[in-house]
Amino acid sequence: MSIADATLVPIARHSWLTPSRAAGLALLGLLALFALLGPLLVSVDPTEQDFAASLTPPGSDYLLGADHYGRSMLARLAYGAQLSFGMALLTVATAALPGILLGLLAAWRGGLLERALELVSAVLLALPGLLLVLILLAFAPGTFGPLYLGLALTLWIEFYRVTRVTAAGVLKQPHVEATRLLGFKTGYILRNLVLPEIRPILITLAAFAMSTAIIAISTLSAISVGLRPPTPELGAMIVELLPYYAEAPLHVLMPGILIFLLVLGLQLATRSDLR
Amino acid sequence: MQRLVLARLLQAGLVVLVVGILCFVLVRALPGDPAMRIAAGRYGPDANITEAAEQVRRELGLDQPLLVQLGTSLGQLARLDLGHSVVTGLPITKELRIQLGATLWLSGSALVLSLLLGPPIGLLAGLRRGGWVDNASLGGAIVLRSLPPFVLGLLLILIFAMLLGLFPPAGYGTWRDLALPALTLALGLAAVSSRVARDAVAAVVRTPYLAFARLKGLPEPVVVRRHVLRNAAIPVVSYLALQAIYLIEGVVVVETLFGIPGIGHALVHAVIARDVPMVQGTALAMGLLFVVIAAAVDLTCHWLDPRPKRI
Amino acid sequence: MNAPVRFQSLTVSGLGISSGDTTIVRDVAFTLAQGRPVTLLGASGSGKSLVAHAIMGSLPAGLVAHGAIKLDDEDLLATSFERTRARWGRTIAILPQEPWLALDPTMRIAGQVGEVHRYLHGRGSAEAQTCMRADLTEVGLGNRTQAYPHELSGGMCQRAAIAVTHAAGACLVIADEPTKGLDAALRDSVVERLRQEVDQGRLLLTITHDIEVAAALGGMIGVMLDGALVEFGPAAEVLERPRHDYARTLIAADPARWAAPALPPPGEAVAAARGLSKRFGERTLFDGLDIAVRRGEIVAIVGPSGCGKTTIGNILLGLVTPDRGEVQRAPDIAQIRFQKLYQDPPAAFAPHQALRQGLGDLLKLHGLPWSQAEASMGRFGLGQELLDRRPNEVSGGELQRFAILRALLLDPVFLFADEATSRLDPVSQKQVFAILVEAVRARGLGLLMVTHEVALAEKLASRILRLPN
Repeated sequence: MSIADATLVPIARHSWLTPSRAAGLALLGLLALFALLGPLLVSVDPTEQDFAASLTPPGSDYLLGADHYGRSMLARLAYGAQLSFGMALLTVATAALPGILLGLLAAWRGGLLERALELVSAVLLALPGLLLVLILLAFAPGTFGPLYLGLALTLWIEFYRVTRVTAAGVLKQPHVEATRLLGFKTGYILRNLVLPEIRPILITLAAFAMSTAIIAISTLSAISVGLRPPTPELGAMIVELLPYYAEAPLHVLMPGILIFLLVLGLQLATRSDLR
Repeated sequence: MQRLVLARLLQAGLVVLVVGILCFVLVRALPGDPAMRIAAGRYGPDANITEAAEQVRRELGLDQPLLVQLGTSLGQLARLDLGHSVVTGLPITKELRIQLGATLWLSGSALVLSLLLGPPIGLLAGLRRGGWVDNASLGGAIVLRSLPPFVLGLLLILIFAMLLGLFPPAGYGTWRDLALPALTLALGLAAVSSRVARDAVAAVVRTPYLAFARLKGLPEPVVVRRHVLRNAAIPVVSYLALQAIYLIEGVVVVETLFGIPGIGHALVHAVIARDVPMVQGTALAMGLLFVVIAAAVDLTCHWLDPRPKRI
Repeated sequence: MNAPVRFQSLTVSGLGISSGDTTIVRDVAFTLAQGRPVTLLGASGSGKSLVAHAIMGSLPAGLVAHGAIKLDDEDLLATSFERTRARWGRTIAILPQEPWLALDPTMRIAGQVGEVHRYLHGRGSAEAQTCMRADLTEVGLGNRTQAYPHELSGGMCQRAAIAVTHAAGACLVIADEPTKGLDAALRDSVVERLRQEVDQGRLLLTITHDIEVAAALGGMIGVMLDGALVEFGPAAEVLERPRHDYARTLIAADPARWAAPALPPPGEAVAAARGLSKRFGERTLFDGLDIAVRRGEIVAIVGPSGCGKTTIGNILLGLVTPDRGEVQRAPDIAQIRFQKLYQDPPAAFAPHQALRQGLGDLLKLHGLPWSQAEASMGRFGLGQELLDRRPNEVSGGELQRFAILRALLLDPVFLFADEATSRLDPVSQKQVFAILVEAVRARGLGLLMVTHEVALAEKLASRILRLPN
């Protein structure tokens, strides 16, 4: 039962930096550092083979051991993290920019443009994203091009739809009408009224899209249609090491743990509700 | 109701159109002689390929405009004429019929398993927010959602097949073969549906109508059974439409990982082998399966929620 | 029908409610007897709803009641939660605010009444059906048993909630803001219904901020201010000779008791329209309508909700285009001198902005000095500390006065007040209209007010446009 009197109890403004956000950001920071500095520090070529060191356990000469070709796991994981981060960032940036702009435009102008965009997104959403990417991959399996194109093609829709719905919702509200009556122009309304409302949602969405891209790229590589060995892609590394799980289960798991930590960091850093 | 069905029929049409057009382009974009490839796809490799290729070339004709060629090819799709696999030479429809069983078994058991796991946990968590079930299921959901299905599957194989020896790591035939792949998918699905259910229950508990149900004197079990369950089920079921995407995508990955001879497995191998008719057939089947699940979800929601729908 | 145990009286004495170390409600004492209902009046935040929930035993977590609440001889506060819960429905029932939100949206009315017979009284399915039908017939819903709440009007939902109360058999009924969100005609029918409850021998406690409702119910009236009961006595006495200052202010704030504004003769028309027509989907809102607002006058549009009142004001402002008809606004007057006040004050402000930010931007945009805004804030009784709050952290009355201040900074010639006080308590409503009337008198502002309260319009407006449903 809603109790009107209860609204007078002062609302504590929640701090933006919740413990989960702090943990997520710290984790992402560490991983970014590892991805950026790892290759410099180790200064080992991730493709350099040393059969004598094949499947060395972590600790000895190689900090995280060596894979079946005797390649440094540390170097390969660092390059893999770099690759995952980089490809995901590129894909999400490609998806977010047009998505957000078109979403704003559709919410603002409506009409034919909005209907055309709705049709395009309906067409692209008819099929689960991974199927679309798979068909595109048939054009050139094992390359980044179709992977990038397919992912961006499915991811921009979410940015477009969320931006359009949220912005349209804000624009319909009385305070926008009041602001316009008070003499403010479109620029002010977009900057001061619409942007603050959509920014938190877009940040969450971007993190979600990053996770989706990281998972999709590694998954497709793991089922041999994405990037292929010897590229140090995390998913590809797992398949490559899979035949040796009995001798070196930790090696098989390491790239998986890295993917897990990447996605976990993204999730924690932008977790707003409890879903 | 009619609009719901119509919208999903339209979506099914779009699936056919998108897959058909992409594969049409694919056939012509791949290196080599498209006529040869089309002929192989249409009549199977047993046919006299060069002669057939000539016939195809005449029939589609390089002189024909591309749009006419596209029309012919979409017309074939509409008649469910999917052609032959370039690799095995068998008719695609026949291959799909065999594979469909495995895919339906896997996706069905994963879905049922996830519904047995997720929503009940969500209900307990939502009724006692901040309790240990709530906190533990939140932690579990975050961890599970950070694991891509193939990594999760791998972990399950390592633990249950290698370490404990309870289930076979791969294969297809008995329910024991299906246990790990279905569990892989179900855990991923339940991670989300438990949280959706938890939030839905928490939202229903805060509504004035639930407060009134209590204040009018109903005992708590009756309140939960008659007022919480149905209202909280609406968002959980409608979210299943989104989860169908995860399910379909997961089926492709998990079938490949566990070597289950289903449609997803066939799709991945067709992509690697560039067997275009097979890519087309399997993608179509998976896409339509997705539409069917989404339509079932729509109808369930319609039945659960009598309020007029916006849209 | 059930034969409920009849109770003679409810006696509240020394009731206090606290949250941790803070006391929110203190020293509330009153007696409610058969045939003598009690109505608690007060602004939102005065603690009157909390008193109702303390009696019910349904205070939100964290709030604790102390003192004594005696229903005949039993002290309701001294019993366990299980006992309290066992009383819900059977002994004490609450009529919820906004009953259309208090009924389960996915269950037919029949089910929501019938389940009380089945699970509260343990009747068999067939008997429960019969009882349910009788309960709904008694409140005039006998032919709508199979309806879902969304298929019923607000008044019908209210009656369905009453049928639930009857089904449960409670003899103490607490009506929590029973007329919230209802327009005048519906309000009267709900009050009539509550009177019948009293006549049938039930004890009635009503929580409201509507003085008209309190007057119509009769019995005893209590006035609450800041968590204390500052006045309690027979209705006629409290309404005619209130002793406490706040009670006087509150009762004087009833529009029927306002002094009529003395306005000089109006000037030229600032906004006028002829032959307006507007359709909304299938429905014609109005056709061939004429309206004019002149400088220094107050024009009111009155009508039930959904009749298109707001649309007329929006047409005059140029926010909506009519299907037919012509609109004339005074020439040579800038567009920004046509302003609007909104029904829900927080909705008229950007939720993320502190008030200072929005006000500062407005002053900068139009090259106005801070001193001008500060001076008005003082005059309107708005403290400087409000500037650093966000809209949802300011009370509705203060925020609406702030909205007026914002509009008056632009020296408007026309102001459209769209149900501007329908969400405010009577005291805040009076303050808002005092400021508006002053602006009409002193600046020659043309005020167009839209309301569903006929009494308010009749008191203030020079001319009234009445719209049929």
